Amino acid sequence: MSAKRDWTRWAVHPAVGFTLVFFFLPLMIMVTVSFWQRIYGKLEATWSIANYAKFFGADYLRDSLLNSLEVTLITTFLSVLLAYPLAWILAYRVPPKWQKVLLILAVLPFWTAYVVRSYSWLLVISENGIINATLMAIGIIQEPLELAYGRSATILGFVHFFTMLLTLTIYANLVQIKPSYQKAASDLGANRFQVFFHVTLPLSIPGVAVGAFITFVIAIGDFITPQILGGSTEVLVPQAIMLQVSRAANFPMAAVMSLTLTVVVVIVYLMVQKHLKMDRI
Amino acid sequence: MFNRISRFSSTSYLLLALLFIYLPVVVLVLFSFQDGLLPVFPFNGPSLQWYEKMLENERLVESLYNSVLVAVLSSLLTTIIGFLAAYGLARHSHRFASGIQFLLMAPLMVSYLIIGIGLLITLNIFGIPKSLVAVGLGHMVINLPLCFAIVYSQFGDHLKNIDCAARDLGASDLSTLTLVIAPIMKPALLASFCLSATLSWDEFIIAFLLSRFDVTLPVIIFEMLRAGLTPEVNAAGTMVFAISMALVAVSAVVMFFNTRNTG
Amino acid sequence: MSNTIKAAPAAQSPEFLTPSPVTRRTFLGYTAATTATLLGVKPAIAADELNVLVWCDHADDKLIEPFEAAHNVRINVKTYEGTGTALSLIEQSRPGDWDVLVVDAPDAPTVARRGILAPLDDGDFPLGDLFSPLTSAGFNYVDGTRYAVPEKFGYYGVAYNKEKVDPADMRSAQVMWNDAYKGRIAVYDYYFPTMQLIAISMGIAPDKIGMDDLPTIREKLLAMKPNIKIIGDIVSVQNALVNGDVDLILNGAEFVVSGLMPTIPALDWTIFDEGGLMWIQGIGVFESSNKKDLAKKFVQYILSPDGQGRLATSECYWAMPANSQAVLDDSQKKILRWDEQAGFLDRSVPSTISQPDIDSAMLDIWTEFLQS
Repeated sequence: MSAKRDWTRWAVHPAVGFTLVFFFLPLMIMVTVSFWQRIYGKLEATWSIANYAKFFGADYLRDSLLNSLEVTLITTFLSVLLAYPLAWILAYRVPPKWQKVLLILAVLPFWTAYVVRSYSWLLVISENGIINATLMAIGIIQEPLELAYGRSATILGFVHFFTMLLTLTIYANLVQIKPSYQKAASDLGANRFQVFFHVTLPLSIPGVAVGAFITFVIAIGDFITPQILGGSTEVLVPQAIMLQVSRAANFPMAAVMSLTLTVVVVIVYLMVQKHLKMDRI
Repeated sequence: MFNRISRFSSTSYLLLALLFIYLPVVVLVLFSFQDGLLPVFPFNGPSLQWYEKMLENERLVESLYNSVLVAVLSSLLTTIIGFLAAYGLARHSHRFASGIQFLLMAPLMVSYLIIGIGLLITLNIFGIPKSLVAVGLGHMVINLPLCFAIVYSQFGDHLKNIDCAARDLGASDLSTLTLVIAPIMKPALLASFCLSATLSWDEFIIAFLLSRFDVTLPVIIFEMLRAGLTPEVNAAGTMVFAISMALVAVSAVVMFFNTRNTG
Repeated sequence: MSNTIKAAPAAQSPEFLTPSPVTRRTFLGYTAATTATLLGVKPAIAADELNVLVWCDHADDKLIEPFEAAHNVRINVKTYEGTGTALSLIEQSRPGDWDVLVVDAPDAPTVARRGILAPLDDGDFPLGDLFSPLTSAGFNYVDGTRYAVPEKFGYYGVAYNKEKVDPADMRSAQVMWNDAYKGRIAVYDYYFPTMQLIAISMGIAPDKIGMDDLPTIREKLLAMKPNIKIIGDIVSVQNALVNGDVDLILNGAEFVVSGLMPTIPALDWTIFDEGGLMWIQGIGVFESSNKKDLAKKFVQYILSPDGQGRLATSECYWAMPANSQAVLDDSQKKILRWDEQAGFLDRSVPSTISQPDIDSAMLDIWTEFLQS
């Protein structure tokens, strides 16, 4: 009996072993390589902090980290701002039988092919694109708006994607809040706004936190969106990493940047940890 | 009066949000039917020429096959080991249970790009060539936490009881697992398979970094994007979108029946 | 005889186990055929494969299919932009992975000195038919040995929309800093030609750029940033020009607009009066290739009049073929400005890669430029 029981104890091992070999080992190797040097096209196994010194010392490299942080934070903030009302309307203003259908409708484009998503936005916001064509046709503007390329275009592409994701997590959270709480508050004399700010909003923080955290993790590591929409007039960390890998095969420098990004995410995780329930994802 | 204003503003917000969400998709799909050489305004009227061109593109069709292969195999393996891990953790009170859980969920905190770079550096140092297998392993890394979490969240106390009952009735470990637990968990397993397949199907950066000539569809589309401005890219993007939606629809149906059965 | 009898039931045994083997087999066959048709996988698989590492113009089916058909071989194409990217990819590969390399011809000696390219025999190629400025340039030989053959060429200058800019402004390199084009310029993302164009505007020849010149070049490069809307690869800058987001592409010329000119007649290109900067692509065979003969045949095909015509007008970018006998019709020649080449060539110098230390400093300055 006990021998039999041991068999199922091993059930976790394939997953743990897999994660150790294909996730943690590469991470450890990346840490090691980040101290190596690339000298005349060859990797030299040294223990030097020169790569870190270069990354944090040179303005143009350090700026990529600041740019990434700014873009990601603005993206997260705007996405929450847009998604919350949408989720709230879906949860409280739409008749229950239409909620699921409208929710699915609202998040369907989430599955637009990743590589063409940003490219599609270019077709929308460029000077010959649909927005400018429409606004000029109805006479609101005479000269086309310069919407494409640059930081705001990158943020637009991001916000579009993450608004859908956040709508999903916030909606899932809102419908779990028992209506009795809100009713109790209004019975006690709270008006609509008081109910919202003192009951609904605080209880929906976990949904916001989970969605915002996923937004942060995905956005800060995304290469395609800034590459296609940003026009490379500023460089974010993922672009800097790809420049190191694809133009110079400089793995040590790419490792330094990758680890920096990972540390940033871990710090953010520790900051919001208490609001996160991973099983809600 | 207040209600009417509130309803009006809710409806307007909803419509504006949907407009924002659908704008790029509509333009993408619209210009896949462009009758002309460039996917830019004006729209010259519907034509299927770019879909024909796409299906004649052998490399694209082959990459479609590769994508399906990688998505199916990696998701199958991920779902199996994720399920085993969830079962093991749910059945036994492990001393390191929370540690193991954290370890299995850790890849969620690391960007796809960085997982890809880590594997690329590792391959390079050990002199292992890039391949579709490497891409599949990369996809398993990103999907395992999700598969584990989905299945684990469905393991309640009632399953522990069923598990005990099956054993008391003399079922072996293996038959308890495959004949009793797995069928009950079928919706969760299917959902985790579909989610994982959808993510693998549309994943770009890991596939880009770790593949050689046998590439997946997103990599081919990216290369098409870099090789010239053509509505064929729109056609390929539309096809990827359509297939993703089909997968999502399957998992939504599965989830729907799941909630109806348990609730 | 006994062997046959023994073997037969064994081979058939699965069919004994199923009630209606024929039906099942038919069904399986039907399914397999349908699947194969759906997936478009042809049962006949090419006998051999050739792995080519190339610029995107070689990825056009119109170019590679005739060779695949003639030699029953499958060409695996991997595209890149910029010699650094190619070297990085080669470094991430194993010996024998690659057979053919297309690389900026001036970089060929550097690549050859690393032992990447195999020596070639002049007699195997139609060198006499190539435009002479291409074959007379210094980079053709390393210590008397040829490692790459010029196959295509063009210029770095400016491509623009005639309806949006004053074509007279385009003739001078000063357009880079011209306030009239604030936020209206796209730059083709290739660091050293851009800096060499700046050098030419200062009267410094590309191959004479020294470490001392870099601070000034850096200053001038950063000074043009307010005019720049986007810095990107070929298709990104094309996209920006076609969509009207920029009016001109700096560091681009025929290769960014020739393919678009039939559709959008307002597009045009020119080289600067201060002097033209030429790019020349070379093609060679990998030293580590296990199929050097087939690889050489591919190179010969690319250099043949037929291959040259197809290469010159390939999907990713059009540009002049190296071979003066290339098969092109009059309208194609007109777009390529075939008849004006003599004048262009007279006024232009090839873009050459600098010494490793200067090159690496240039790349750092370029990153700073992107970030500024």
